[in-house]
Amino acid sequence: MVEVKLEGIVKTFGETVALKGIDLHIKHGELFTLLGPSGCGKSTTLRIIAGLDFPDEGHLYFDDEEVTYKSSSERGAVLVFQNYALWPHMTVYDNIAYGLKIRKLPKQEIEKRVKWALELVKLQGYEDRYPTQLSGGQQQRVAIARALVVEPKLLLLDEPLSNLDAKLRLEMRSEIRRIQRELGITVLYVTHDQEEAMAISDRIAVMNIGQIEQVGTPKEIYEEPKTEFVASFMGKTNVIPAEVVEREGDKVTVEFENFRLDGLTYKDKNDKVVIVIRPERISLHPIENAVAITGKVDLIEYYGFFIEVVGLFGERRIIARTINDKDVAHLRPQGEVTFYIDRNDVLVLPKQSL
Amino acid sequence: MKVSKWSERLFGTPLFEPLVAFSYIFPLLYLIVFLIVPVLSMLLIAFTYDGNISLHWFKSILMDSYYIQLPPQGEFAQKLTTSTGESLYLLRGLDFGVVLNSLVVAILVTLLTAILGTVFAFVMARYNFKGKNFFRIALFIPLLVTPFVNAYVIKQMFSEYGLINYIFHEVLHILPFRIKIDGLAGVVLAQAMAYYPIVYLNAYASFINIDPTLEEQAENLGSRGFHLFRTVTFPLALPGIAAGATLVFIFSLEDLAAPVVFHGDPLAKKLMSYQIFSKFIYGLGERSPEIAALSIIMLALAVIAFLGIRKYVGLRQYAMLSKGGRWKPRISEPKPWQTLLIYLVLLPALLITIFPQLGVVMLAFSERWTTTVLPQGFTIDYIKEMILNPDVRRFIVNSLVYSGAAVILIVLLSITSSYATSRFKGILSPVLESIVILPIAVPGIVVAMGYFYFFSAITPENSPLNPTSLYGFNPALVLILAYSIRRLPFAARSVYAGLQQVHVSLEEASMNLGASRWKTIIGILLPLISLNAFGGAMLSFVYSMSETSVGITLGSINMAQAPITAFMKEVLMSAAGSINIAAALGVLLIVVQITAIVVVNVITKQRYSFIGLT
Repeated sequence: MVEVKLEGIVKTFGETVALKGIDLHIKHGELFTLLGPSGCGKSTTLRIIAGLDFPDEGHLYFDDEEVTYKSSSERGAVLVFQNYALWPHMTVYDNIAYGLKIRKLPKQEIEKRVKWALELVKLQGYEDRYPTQLSGGQQQRVAIARALVVEPKLLLLDEPLSNLDAKLRLEMRSEIRRIQRELGITVLYVTHDQEEAMAISDRIAVMNIGQIEQVGTPKEIYEEPKTEFVASFMGKTNVIPAEVVEREGDKVTVEFENFRLDGLTYKDKNDKVVIVIRPERISLHPIENAVAITGKVDLIEYYGFFIEVVGLFGERRIIARTINDKDVAHLRPQGEVTFYIDRNDVLVLPKQSL
Repeated sequence: MKVSKWSERLFGTPLFEPLVAFSYIFPLLYLIVFLIVPVLSMLLIAFTYDGNISLHWFKSILMDSYYIQLPPQGEFAQKLTTSTGESLYLLRGLDFGVVLNSLVVAILVTLLTAILGTVFAFVMARYNFKGKNFFRIALFIPLLVTPFVNAYVIKQMFSEYGLINYIFHEVLHILPFRIKIDGLAGVVLAQAMAYYPIVYLNAYASFINIDPTLEEQAENLGSRGFHLFRTVTFPLALPGIAAGATLVFIFSLEDLAAPVVFHGDPLAKKLMSYQIFSKFIYGLGERSPEIAALSIIMLALAVIAFLGIRKYVGLRQYAMLSKGGRWKPRISEPKPWQTLLIYLVLLPALLITIFPQLGVVMLAFSERWTTTVLPQGFTIDYIKEMILNPDVRRFIVNSLVYSGAAVILIVLLSITSSYATSRFKGILSPVLESIVILPIAVPGIVVAMGYFYFFSAITPENSPLNPTSLYGFNPALVLILAYSIRRLPFAARSVYAGLQQVHVSLEEASMNLGASRWKTIIGILLPLISLNAFGGAMLSFVYSMSETSVGITLGSINMAQAPITAFMKEVLMSAAGSINIAAALGVLLIVVQITAIVVVNVITKQRYSFIGLT
């Protein structure tokens, strides 16, 4: 178990700046996720922590020891690769035993620990198979067993579920969570899937173009995004460019397309803003203390038990998600519709130049 | 430890690692010392006159009508009459002077092989016909290298009473007169027949690798037949065809076997390769600046062709643009006129071009071959003699030892250089990548001359390492070095391809789990590329056994330590032994080559990978 600290990590590849100064603090026994779109630098961060790449600037600490330039083989931060990187010329047993043999453990000890690892990932009886004789999910379990068997200080998982089908993905997700809880090790997890990140993590760092946008628990990240990017990245949401037209202390009135929303909380000085409203927080029924905006129905999308109504407000499309019941049956494309929005569900964030 | 900027720049590793540095420096230094420096040492001699830097030798070559003869002299074809009163056309070619002759011959051979190779490749890639498997196997036969003897058989085939006149004049009466091909025309013929499968293999691979949907789309838009071929298929295959053709150009330029065999006609001697060779043989011990200059001219032509094709192919990698998906190969039944073409033109052409190798085998098992169509009298005396006579066996043992030693070096060089260039992105990577395949572009005779000047300059005067030594030069080291340099590209390409198939994460996973780089290479990388290394090693071995240029020059100074090819050349040039013994050695080489092909195919389950330039 280890605490990981990154201070001002900068990494460039030729002309491109991959990481623009990353500060992170991952706590003991935490399952911490780096989340972001492809190319945001999350894998580079992971590789730097694993010792497979080295930063141009900045420092990396495991507990109080600086390991920035320590070689990968001496770090004890073991990585499970996205493609699993199982050695095709070795059996499952030899793959898992590899790290133990490197550590020159006695033979009985190796056997004991490989057995333990196989049990942990529920692969007893597969010792003599070769990786090519395993399914994707089994290969991944071997990769995880191979990493865990050396009792790493830190387990690094690089998009571990991206090569699995949807059903297996859910299964392995809870499996990883179970193992992490059982062993109580610190895990750093990398993914581009926000749903996966929210389901599995203690805390999440959302990354974008080489920077960390926000660190927090899944709930914080989802419900209180600090930036426009985080808001738009975490699930389907309405991000509407708008302008502050009135201010009174922390309360502002914003305007978009001739629609005004008043009494919203906003502290930043920038008058160019976006308003963020989750589709499921928009009501099609009148509610108390809500702002009401009326526009045209542009499109109705059926998902079964819920529907999404795309309303057209001037030129702006806003999505509302609602239970598919009798109350919405009257809606027709091009017909009139009123969205009711609770002010507490509206976030006003400064416009980001993306 | 802190990041080392110069290590990152040079070797692509932010932390300096001796093993990685070695992977760069060992092959780099080896090639610089044993390829670049020897060749450059020749430059020094070629550009020196009266102790000053001068273009004198180049000027004297380019001004001399012996070297440049414009307009050309002689008659391309002469009409003669045989003793029996039949008319005979003797084809020898025109004399453009030594330098231009080499160029003209190389260009003609390149064009002929390009056409023949492309036609064969297209037919094999796109049509189903009876006997296709025979074609497939037969097309490999001309690739079996039997130095000198196969050119000898070609000379016999196209002589006055040879096989060609027998079939086309006496039996079929297609030719109203007899023909005889000699001189430069004979050289062109012998080279074209031996080299066209190189274009074939490269072109075939190109045709096979074209995404069928590209052609289907063109058809869908209304293109058909020759228009489709001209506008889509051919342009996509052109980089591969051009790469194969360039290789042929370089091979033709440096070839010594055909000129040596046809040297009875003085015109065949007027080629750069032969001139360098003969001046070396007859003016031994003399460090002639004129020869150095001629070597430089030859090298320049080969290198220009090599760099040109690399640039061209590099610019046109579009054949690989397509996305995945399973390809349904475009194979169809030939139309009647195409069937006719296959059986009436391609089949005879194929039979003629595989005859030399068959002829070599017949020659090895026969008593004599003088004025008859085929060799006469079956005997196994020559095979026996090759095995039992210690004077002949010695050459075989020498070649085995030199080739074996060279292969060990080649494997080490291939693995280190491929590891460095495929895994790290230091500024030395592209340098190393180019220098490792550079030997393809350096004619063997130029390597031989470079070594001659280099080793006679740096070794003590009468030491066994000095080619001008009076007390017996031992060519072992020089030959091993020359083989290891000249045949390196074969193995290096194979190992590099293997490394590219092994994802780098397999090595990272090992190091991440605590293994050192050395342990990772030994335990993970080498087992995964061993088949590629083995295949490459076999190929290098086979072509070291049949290496000609260095073997018949430096290798023949001291016959006690000479390789097989030096002995074969002796037989052909001095009539010291019988040609049948040379043919027996040719058969031995064929056996070695076929064994290698079969073993590589069975063990690595890969197609026998022949040479390409890309």
